[in-house]
Amino acid sequence: MESVIRKRPILLTIVCILGFVWIVFSFPAVFSPSVKKLGDWYPALFGLIVAASFISYIGVWYMKKWGVSLFAITFFVKEIILIFIDDVSYAGIVFSVFFISSMVSFYKRMDSNL
Amino acid sequence: MIFLGLFRESILFAINALVVNKLRTFLSLLGITIGIFAIITVFTIVDSLEQNLRKSVQSLGNDVVFIEKWPWTFGENYPWWKYMNRPDADYNELDEILRKCNGAQSAAFVASTAITVKYKSSSIENVTIICASHQYDKVKNFEIASGRYFADIESSAGRPVAIIGDVLAKALFPNQDPLGQSIKINGAKVDVIGVFKKEGESILGGSSDTQILVPINYARSLIDIRSENLNPQIMVRAKAGVSNEDLIDELTGLMRAIRRLKPLAEDDFALNQTSLISNQFDGLFGIIGIAGWIIGGFSILVGGFGIANIMFVSVKERTNIIGIQKSLGAKNYFILLQFLFESVFLSLIGGIIGLLVVYLITLLAGDTFGMEITLSRSNIILGFTISILIGVISGFVPAYGASQMDPVEAIRAN
Repeated sequence: MESVIRKRPILLTIVCILGFVWIVFSFPAVFSPSVKKLGDWYPALFGLIVAASFISYIGVWYMKKWGVSLFAITFFVKEIILIFIDDVSYAGIVFSVFFISSMVSFYKRMDSNL
Repeated sequence: MIFLGLFRESILFAINALVVNKLRTFLSLLGITIGIFAIITVFTIVDSLEQNLRKSVQSLGNDVVFIEKWPWTFGENYPWWKYMNRPDADYNELDEILRKCNGAQSAAFVASTAITVKYKSSSIENVTIICASHQYDKVKNFEIASGRYFADIESSAGRPVAIIGDVLAKALFPNQDPLGQSIKINGAKVDVIGVFKKEGESILGGSSDTQILVPINYARSLIDIRSENLNPQIMVRAKAGVSNEDLIDELTGLMRAIRRLKPLAEDDFALNQTSLISNQFDGLFGIIGIAGWIIGGFSILVGGFGIANIMFVSVKERTNIIGIQKSLGAKNYFILLQFLFESVFLSLIGGIIGLLVVYLITLLAGDTFGMEITLSRSNIILGFTISILIGVISGFVPAYGASQMDPVEAIRAN
């Protein structure tokens, strides 16, 4: 099946741009001293989350369904880790839920191919 | 199996990129190398400093409270004019503490100053002499490499005996056993009965390597132990199960009673603990860590752009091959992963070079800075993580672009 170029709604463009800005700011957090202090493997875990979030935004930017799925999975994994280290941000949850609902509302218009 | 083949092919492409365009690839990887080098170097130094500080604090004793005139906290609001009028810790107060303090396992009175030590024609100036009461070995963590600690009678009778540091022992007695020899302290003969085990330099100073320990009752004949210059202090070690806070509460009440302070009068003594020192250093290490984080972060950002650039060029150069691969049935994810692996591999090479440079520096530095600098496992993991992460982030867009190419147009491309 050939990929079809689909027009991206303005709301998803804003969501993706905000997401890319978030990635730029959260990338240095991967190797911040505070994350490093949590344990040897936490920077790697946070790095994985940041990379997965970045890829998911690329997917949503190109109107791909896998982008939404990857974003949702990343969100849940991230929240589980944050609960585990007792660093849950309610503002972060509200933003992410808003992002997911925006993506889901256009899910049917998205491409199911890679 | 297909992934292994894909992985192998991507590595070969990356190696090929390195071999064919040496200078271009090297310059692109330089950003990652410098970034990883900057971040990991700073973290390695901070970790080593912290480790050294912890070791030093541990040698002072985590469960020891120091009764002194001056508190160990410093800052803008430090009323030194109040503290300087306080009385010094007194030897007689030690007896009261030993008798009445329920939370104390042991306590010792300690005073120190600098003296000159002589043995035959050898002479060493500015050696720290520690004058301590008998229970010093129970409140201070140290090991004796050869010889023994003071006997009870030696401490109480004030016999001229001393335990000397490893560095002093080697300097004064280069080719002989120091045990049983007599050294001269302020002109008085003192027998060496023990040598401390080598401790290494301490970030807080006061390493036992360059100290001499003598019984306080002997030191009275050498120096004025009531002098303020000797920084007299009482060290109190908590019993097992008694927290430092509980011990401090008890000692506060006890010291106020000993010094007969009125209920509304301020304390005229300071109860210090080692956590006060480590807390102050934590702030400093935090600032150094953040500085390294910012400097390294920018280098890595630049390195990421370098990798993204090289990947865009790589996709452009291999557009025909992508077209052929797709026309022969290669899936989009195959093309995507091929370029993504290549990007991660290139980034990893940059990161590994950065880590190797840090490792070489730690080997070369050795004990130059008076402490052991080691590249820890957590920093190696961090270096690899950042390299892989930057490879994924900077390589995904070019790789995804390659995977979405139309095979016909890709084959036609020049």
